[in-house]
Amino acid sequence: MTPNLTVRFLLCLFGLLLPLALLARNVDLATVPTRSTVQLTIYNSEDLTLVRETRVVTFKQGVNPLQFSWANTLIDPTSVELKFREPKTGLEVLDTTFPHDKPQMLYWNVQSDANREATIEISYFTSGISWAADYVAIADAEEKTLRLESFVRVNNRSGEDYENAQVRLVVGTINLVEKIAELAKVPVGQVEELKREEYRDLRQKAARKMMAPAAPAPMVAMDMAAGAMQEMEAPKEIIKEGLSEYFIYTIEGTETVPNGWAKRLRSFEAVGLPMTVEYRYRPREYGDQLTRLYLLRNDTASKLGTTPLPDGMLRVFRANGRDALSYLATQNLKYVPIGDKIELNLGPDPAVVFELLKQKVYRDNLWFQIKGGNLYRKLGEEGFKLELDSQVAGWDEHTVYRQKIRNYTRKPIHVQIRREYPGDIVFRSRLNPTLHDFQTVQFETDIPAGDKAELDYEVIARLGYNQKQNRVELQAGEVSR
Amino acid sequence: MNRTRWLYPLSALLLLGAAPLDALARIKLTTLPVRERVEIQLDHPQLALVEEERIVPLVKGVNQVDFSWANTRIDPDTLVLRILPPPADQPLDAKVLSVSYPPNENALVWAVAASTSGAARVRISYVLGRLSKDFHYRAVADHDEKTLNLAQYLRVNNNANEAYDAAEFWAGVGDRFGKPLGLNETKEVQLGRFAAVPVRKTYTTHPVEFGYLDRAQDKLNVPMHYVFKNAGGELGKEPLPEGKARIFQEDGKGGTAFLGEDRGKFTPPDDELKLYLGLARDIAVRRTVDRNERQRIAGNLYRYDVTLKYEIENFKDAPVTLDIAESVRQIRDQIRGDSGRDPEWQLGDGSLRTPDPEKSDADKLLFHVDLPARAADGQAKKQIHTLRLNLNNEW
Repeated sequence: MTPNLTVRFLLCLFGLLLPLALLARNVDLATVPTRSTVQLTIYNSEDLTLVRETRVVTFKQGVNPLQFSWANTLIDPTSVELKFREPKTGLEVLDTTFPHDKPQMLYWNVQSDANREATIEISYFTSGISWAADYVAIADAEEKTLRLESFVRVNNRSGEDYENAQVRLVVGTINLVEKIAELAKVPVGQVEELKREEYRDLRQKAARKMMAPAAPAPMVAMDMAAGAMQEMEAPKEIIKEGLSEYFIYTIEGTETVPNGWAKRLRSFEAVGLPMTVEYRYRPREYGDQLTRLYLLRNDTASKLGTTPLPDGMLRVFRANGRDALSYLATQNLKYVPIGDKIELNLGPDPAVVFELLKQKVYRDNLWFQIKGGNLYRKLGEEGFKLELDSQVAGWDEHTVYRQKIRNYTRKPIHVQIRREYPGDIVFRSRLNPTLHDFQTVQFETDIPAGDKAELDYEVIARLGYNQKQNRVELQAGEVSR
Repeated sequence: MNRTRWLYPLSALLLLGAAPLDALARIKLTTLPVRERVEIQLDHPQLALVEEERIVPLVKGVNQVDFSWANTRIDPDTLVLRILPPPADQPLDAKVLSVSYPPNENALVWAVAASTSGAARVRISYVLGRLSKDFHYRAVADHDEKTLNLAQYLRVNNNANEAYDAAEFWAGVGDRFGKPLGLNETKEVQLGRFAAVPVRKTYTTHPVEFGYLDRAQDKLNVPMHYVFKNAGGELGKEPLPEGKARIFQEDGKGGTAFLGEDRGKFTPPDDELKLYLGLARDIAVRRTVDRNERQRIAGNLYRYDVTLKYEIENFKDAPVTLDIAESVRQIRDQIRGDSGRDPEWQLGDGSLRTPDPEKSDADKLLFHVDLPARAADGQAKKQIHTLRLNLNNEW
């Protein structure tokens, strides 16, 4: 324990005194049992950490007052719980008192049926400890394989040093009624006012009880003595276990994360992951540009698939073949479940030129509304006269496009294009397109190295009175010239 | 110098473990491994990636390697430490165990485990702010303006508050090169030289893009450009990045005359780069709408018959080709207002009937018109050209 310890645990020796009487005294004597073990279970979706610590305390027969205080930390006072681990019987908490004048403190009165030493467990929630995943991906010079390193970074801003703590990280989201950081600032009495029935349920069920079965049985502090270093130390394993809707990462051994510090450990490293390169034009997802992507999957075929990938920043580099790296992109990787695809967006590639030319516009199938009434006539149909008092009410607008793509890279490329057309649309081409959805056309092409592609298509928009649908119809045919 | 510091304690205390608290100790012994090699990658459009190679002595067990920086904009989240494979005769297995980030410091501490005592060659890369690049060009046209010599320069601006005694640079185009780069220094190097690049000098009118010289007299601006293709010879292998170009012309007496400067846009291979030279005052072009008639098809549906007339005079001593460009949409908007729809048009029987197919589309029309030199008596012969358009299905 560091000298400036802020979570204080006092065993008061004045057992004869009643707790309330103790509060009134000005002269106290106290012992401070140290932490034997500490375990942190950190959620990344919420500012929430479950701390379970054990301490060895000597009780005398009768009533023993215990004081627990947490000045300058972010502990939720309603969450503090005391349990007896060894022995499990013979000890009982008679009551818990939150003194009105000291908001970050409580007293327990513990009844012991004998003079004994006991291991107690205190658990509570704190805020200010967070963890986040981050990734470094390095493609080989040929862009055939990827080396993916995943890290977890634990950040301690809780006000308390946690030394030799077993660290467990929860991947997944839970629901909380109040924010711990807010609770830590208000006196317990007022927290009670905030409290709702589901509050306790959620706290208890979503976090504490959920974690219980996954807790490793022995919580023994691992002391890394110098003499123990016979073999070369390996990076710590991070054990991944699934539990209900959550994944729990347990860092091997123990870690010390002082207040204010952050620590980053490698979660896994995967080398030689097969990947493909694809160019995509999807303005809704990537903006109005042709975007280059590395594609792989979180599955065994891609040499992954043992754990979901938690949300985190991902930085992509490429080996330039001369031991050095090129920086390609940074992106925020969204949670990737096992089996799902991983898409690394590298932005536009200056070596691929992507141009859309509007080549021709014409209109036909013109319909008129006669004299503002319900009568509609088509231009050119038999019996249609030049009516002065008629208005164009419907028409088909034909627009002929040429999509030009030039590939100046040294490799063949695969390009996928999606274009969205709201309204009643006919998409005419020889491009074998498919519908991504009712109003989005998708087509693909392969372009050899140093070559170009010219993809022609005609978009026919049925407008005004002619619009009968709201969808794209694909039509195989030549475009108008 | 060496504001980016590597510090690693030699003290045996290190063997006691990699607890980050050790880094807070007031008394410590450190050595400063020097940079063996530095590469600066400037191929990313916005960012500079610095990669340093250093030899770090490690002792068997867990070593604490500090990396700290001051007054530089290293992005700590981009730091990557790679331990290079050791030589076969000196096997040293080293691995990074963890990285700790002390509070309120620009620093981090790697815990590195080593199988035996020895020196490990490591590479560390990071994105460094305020180290920027830009490109410049110098184009010297020959006296008759048929070819030009193009030189491409890279300028590296070091405001990163860090000096590099010897660094290898790569800008994404051109060759790699090695140079020292001092504090607050700007280094300019020539990346490419492209000799005798065929160039066209163009004279162009485009009411939308270049506007009028004198609107009351319907006189169009006639800007001049040097146009050359990023193709052929040494060109066309890489894109030409955006950059300022200074343009000169050989004066035929062994010197050069400065013609002006322009900002060249990013030019992929096979695309043309246009460098603006200013307005031509010896070519006069008057543009008028000579005819505008509408014909009712039915109800409120009309067809427009529009003729634009160009009266052109070349006062130069040499024949030139004038490029006449038009936006059909702008013509339609001028004669009848904007309907919000793309114009549907057909070329009529004016003198301008064959637009350049490569440079024309559904809206833009480009015609090339040859203009003879002015006559021997000094008189410029006026040429009349017409562009006739049918605008169909307008309402």
